[in-house]
Amino acid sequence: MSILATFVLATFTIPENIGSNPQSMLWLLPLVVAIATVYKATKIQKIKAAHFLKEAVILTGSIIVFMIITALVLCTLAWLITE
Amino acid sequence: MGPPSKGNHTPFLLIVGLLAWLVPGAGHLVLNEKRHAVIIFVAITLTFCTGIYIGSIGVINWVGAKPWFIAQMMNSPVVWILWKLVENGDYPVYGRPNEIGQIYTSIAGLLNLLCIVTAVYWAHLRRIETAGD
Repeated sequence: MSILATFVLATFTIPENIGSNPQSMLWLLPLVVAIATVYKATKIQKIKAAHFLKEAVILTGSIIVFMIITALVLCTLAWLITE
Repeated sequence: MGPPSKGNHTPFLLIVGLLAWLVPGAGHLVLNEKRHAVIIFVAITLTFCTGIYIGSIGVINWVGAKPWFIAQMMNSPVVWILWKLVENGDYPVYGRPNEIGQIYTSIAGLLNLLCIVTAVYWAHLRRIETAGD
């Protein structure tokens, strides 16, 4: 096995060093893109690049905005309960 | 694969579903939806690989995380092979990398399940349309 192949395989055997901090939640943003892309691929019958990209970007943005609103509501609730 | 006749409708749907499970996007490829197949294959494979890159192949854990493993198995039977590689516990992973890795790989599996269902449904619709002609 070549050194390159060994190196590539090795990257999948050692976990990344990610701390339990708020910034680590940013790892979920690429996941939103993947979800929006696959969902749109199952919904759009005839795929045209520009139209598909537009739809996927809109859905990605919608999910992120909804998550931000949800987070703000939960933070407000937590603040009201604890104050 | 040619258009199915009325007699082989169910086996055709099973083949589409099985292919879609074996390789993400293959179900759509059988239906001649090449663009859908490429997008699904790239998105799901990339999501799964990102998951095992973040958390290592140790995130595939039938013993300690059964519900996650079931979702991961929706990706492909390859997950079972990976589990056989890690079942001796040589690749332990804990904390946030484990959580994010499991979320990525499991969501990839659930997205593939959505694609399997869609591929089978489209195959069924086309069979109905063919029969109606």
